[in-house]
Amino acid sequence: MPGLQVLQNKLGPAFSGYTGKTNRYGREKMRVDPDLHFIKYMKSAGGDTLKKCFQCATCSVMCPLSTDENPFPRKQMVFAQWGMKEQLIADPEVLLCHNCGDCTAYCPRGAKPGDVLGSIRAYMYTHYGWPNGLAKMVSEPKMLPMTIALPAIIITLMLFISQMGSHDAWIPTVQGLKDHGFGSFFGHWDFKWLSKNVAFIDAIMLPAVGLAVFSLFKGVSNMWSAMEKRCDINPSFRPSAKQFVTEFLVPSVKEIIAHNRFRECTENADRVRGHRPLMYAFIGLAIVTAYSAFKQDVLGAFIPSMHGPLSLIDPFKILANVSAIAMIVGVGILWGNRAAAEEKNGVTPTYFDWFLLYEIMAVGVTGISAELTRLIGIPPLAYAVYYLHLVSILMLFLYLPYTKFAHLVYRTFAMAFERYRNSSFVK
Amino acid sequence: MSNTIATYLCTGCGIGDALDMDAMNEAAGEVSAEIKTSEALCQAAGREMIQADIDGGVNSVAICACSIRVMQQEFNFGDTVSVSRGNIREGAVWCAEKPSESRDEATCKEFTSMAAGDILRMCVTQAQKTALPEPFQLETINMEILVMGGGIAGLTAATEAAKAGYSVTIIEKADKLGGKALGWTKQFPTKAPYQDLEEPTIGAMIAEVEADTNITVKTSTEVARIGGAPGDFDVTLKAAGETSEWTAPVKVGVDDQDRIEKGDMDDPNVGLKPYGEVNPDAQKFGSVILATGWVPADVSEYTHLGYGANDKVVTNAEFEKMAKEGKLGGVNSVAFVMSPGGEEHDQDFPYANSVTSMVALKQAKYLREANADSKAYILYQHMRTPGHLELFYKGVQQDDGIFFTKATVTGVEDGTVHAKDTLLGEDLDIDVDLVVLAAGMRPTTADEPTINMAYRQGNGFLDLDLFDGYADSHFICFPYETRRTGIYTCGGVRKAMNMEETVDDATGAALKAIQAMVSADRGVAVHPRSGDASYPEFFMQRCTQCKRCTEECPFGALDDDAKGTPLPNPTRCRRCGTCMGACPERIIGFKDYNIDLIGSMIKAIEVPEDEDDQLRILVLACENDAVPALDMAAARGHYINNLARVIPVRCLGSVNMAWIKDALSVGLDGALLLGCAHGDDYQCHFVKGSEIADKRMENIGDTLSTLGLEPERCGTRSVAITDYNKIPDVINEFVEEILEMGPNPFKGF
Repeated sequence: MPGLQVLQNKLGPAFSGYTGKTNRYGREKMRVDPDLHFIKYMKSAGGDTLKKCFQCATCSVMCPLSTDENPFPRKQMVFAQWGMKEQLIADPEVLLCHNCGDCTAYCPRGAKPGDVLGSIRAYMYTHYGWPNGLAKMVSEPKMLPMTIALPAIIITLMLFISQMGSHDAWIPTVQGLKDHGFGSFFGHWDFKWLSKNVAFIDAIMLPAVGLAVFSLFKGVSNMWSAMEKRCDINPSFRPSAKQFVTEFLVPSVKEIIAHNRFRECTENADRVRGHRPLMYAFIGLAIVTAYSAFKQDVLGAFIPSMHGPLSLIDPFKILANVSAIAMIVGVGILWGNRAAAEEKNGVTPTYFDWFLLYEIMAVGVTGISAELTRLIGIPPLAYAVYYLHLVSILMLFLYLPYTKFAHLVYRTFAMAFERYRNSSFVK
Repeated sequence: MSNTIATYLCTGCGIGDALDMDAMNEAAGEVSAEIKTSEALCQAAGREMIQADIDGGVNSVAICACSIRVMQQEFNFGDTVSVSRGNIREGAVWCAEKPSESRDEATCKEFTSMAAGDILRMCVTQAQKTALPEPFQLETINMEILVMGGGIAGLTAATEAAKAGYSVTIIEKADKLGGKALGWTKQFPTKAPYQDLEEPTIGAMIAEVEADTNITVKTSTEVARIGGAPGDFDVTLKAAGETSEWTAPVKVGVDDQDRIEKGDMDDPNVGLKPYGEVNPDAQKFGSVILATGWVPADVSEYTHLGYGANDKVVTNAEFEKMAKEGKLGGVNSVAFVMSPGGEEHDQDFPYANSVTSMVALKQAKYLREANADSKAYILYQHMRTPGHLELFYKGVQQDDGIFFTKATVTGVEDGTVHAKDTLLGEDLDIDVDLVVLAAGMRPTTADEPTINMAYRQGNGFLDLDLFDGYADSHFICFPYETRRTGIYTCGGVRKAMNMEETVDDATGAALKAIQAMVSADRGVAVHPRSGDASYPEFFMQRCTQCKRCTEECPFGALDDDAKGTPLPNPTRCRRCGTCMGACPERIIGFKDYNIDLIGSMIKAIEVPEDEDDQLRILVLACENDAVPALDMAAARGHYINNLARVIPVRCLGSVNMAWIKDALSVGLDGALLLGCAHGDDYQCHFVKGSEIADKRMENIGDTLSTLGLEPERCGTRSVAITDYNKIPDVINEFVEEILEMGPNPFKGF
């Protein structure tokens, strides 16, 4: 990917594990320098069992996604034991894993390869995350209060700014809530082309999304270069951006949407029932958000009646409500599965996993609650819940590159990388 | 013959139905015997019938029923009655031919009865010829145990023997007790959960020995020579490192003696007393335990690892010393190399086994405990952690700073270890401060006689090259034994073993040493013919000093005088009869097992004349493996050719070629020896018997050729006790070969 390559060149090599000497196959020999801190990190992030592995390879046999050419996670386990950070964070297989838990269930030594891979992924998101301080904060359980406080403070501050000089009561009347919904949460001005509410929400969310997108771009670029280096890929022909998208990225996205790989899992097959509605919910909500923005901010500028909450029978509102319910149901199923896996298969509970489950649950529950309290007509409660909803959404966007949510980008690109690696560009 | 005999035929277990009783009575008549029958001789009624006859004056009973391997207690009528067993059940009935198109039921029965008749005649002959053994008694017996070596094995053996009530003298070459264990920082875990190394216990073991009034400790002391025999060893001690005229001489063979006399060779025993001379000041002992342990095996031959040339490369023994002396301070990373083969092979270092694996784990822990940020790399081809020590391995694996991989170590350059074929799938360069090579544990017997016996067959153990310098013990069947009765090895000198194993091993050796003395006291054999009161007797007037018996005895039981006349040491003897088989003058025999007795049994076989298909083939079967295999084959209903006549022998080594000549001269048509495998993976219970028999049979084959007989009429075959499905074919094929050759041309002369 040319763009990535340019960026990579600017950033300098992110990789230094090889000695420069080559063996008789012309392949570089690996200079061993185990990273004890990395081992400690993995052990603290759910991979506490990693040292139990004795390399029998039962995991690679059980893994439904492992291929003959690139079997995993047997090798990833020994790399983890040897603290080989540079190799692991550049390893596409780590991201190809769908965390189904088959390997963990069948491991004769209780080394829980699935959990170890999860801990490596958690490390990767922090490692590739930018700015790194923010990434570290999000990954640390003891920083949870700060992690919640940051978006709460931003929203509160913006709310405070929006109310400066206003003489109206912030909390509307029942009728006001019915007419405007949360359209006046950040107040109202008379500038025709952009409502005050939209301006404030954009001012909050757009920088957050922008930061996330930039962070992900940077992280994925670094990861891609590291993976190329790791896999000894140095092709003379590189795909154009168009080729990259059509040949590698789009097929991967299609595969993700169809959930083909997920369905290979046996031990934890039920997860598809949770993950798929959840994914559709996010797609649905993205569509509704886009429509809503178009309707209110574009059409609304010309046709004032376009402002205000959507009617309950509006197809987009139906889609929004269905999506919201799908989100809660989906995350609930994943929640239950996770708890059951911890109970039944000895999967280790981690902050990394549960943070995202709680976060999405928070988005879903506050969203539905805000809608219900609005429809029932309890303005103070509705506004309070809406506030929490905004905080949880900001968290979701702001922290997307550093939480488990980042898999939606990193894994997609890892799957694209896998296609690239097996394509005629490389072979 | 002074035997009053009675003959019994059991008709139980299908014997009665399978045989023609008239033929059996006729067979008995031919050897002047009268058969008494019982439906179940082993049951109360049958035994009462026999006992009544014994009460009436019978002192030798011929019991024709089942194999000697069963019903031994039922047919034990006390020390004053000889019991001869004719194995009609397994030997004729259960392995009988089944009726077929070519042979009807009546003919099969006739043939089976002929075989059973021969077994009966042989059994009666044995009852007539046998005598009751009279145990050999030493004039005086000493019941003190000598323990050589004051390490864990020696200390344990001494303590255990003392606890059993026996006096022990423990000698140690060094100036204090303790041996290798004195240099250890920690010991392997011995109790659940097998996670933590333990503080050394050697101090407590030494204190226990020193406090025991039954144990005499002599440090800075070595054995000059051990003469005599179990119950009566003459041991000369000397100060460690000094020379003594009583040092046991090495064996000088006939050829070397010639060269010495011609001046072509230096006499290696200059200034030493001859082996046969007894030191009047020698100390008496009843048995000896050799616990002289091991030395680190040399690893300098593996030049690609740089030991000796690279000061960053040390052995595990040297690393242990560094740890003990607290010199691990500046060491941050260590590679433990378990296998030296480079790309040649994946074997571990010589003399390495599970102990060296465990030592690497232990020493990796030393490093980690000495330095929190240290890293230990364990590069193995085999990681052996038997038993509970697997838990220790798992525990060590949990350590963040200890890294395991299977690897082919191709070289060490300065502080870099090169490894390939690793579990990481990559060729590795590992930079370390130190490389530790897992040198093995070489037994002291590999380099020196160590035991210093003043025996005719030499001062050390025999055939050491067969087991890389470990004393041959018939490892599979009798691990504590050596080829010197009354001398037992334990600990590192016997096998590379850890402390727990050594303690068990030394305890076992102490019990064996006690057993040897007590058996000598009772005049009976030790393993493997435990309790056998017979022993070989020599009719010396006819001895020609040919020295075959003294050379061939696998256990060195026979010394000799200046002329070469054998000097038997019955308490060293294992009663295999190899001397009897060796003697061309036929002057060696046991009361109940001798040339005449077996020869007469062979002659008791009826030889049909002028019948080309009624040949007779003698099978002399080793009773340790071949006979049980035959019994098991019969129990499974396998047909064994009814032309074969089986006589059990103590060991093929005891087979005297006179018996083969007897067999052929009375008209038998072939002779087959069935015994244990020999060679590197020998199975012979008496170590050398089957090998010696094989050579003798080759020689007799040459003799047969000169007489115009086919040498193939005499054969030896190896069988194992597990070959019960194969052994019928071995016999049947041999019989077929003889049938093709036709009858023995000397038949009828």
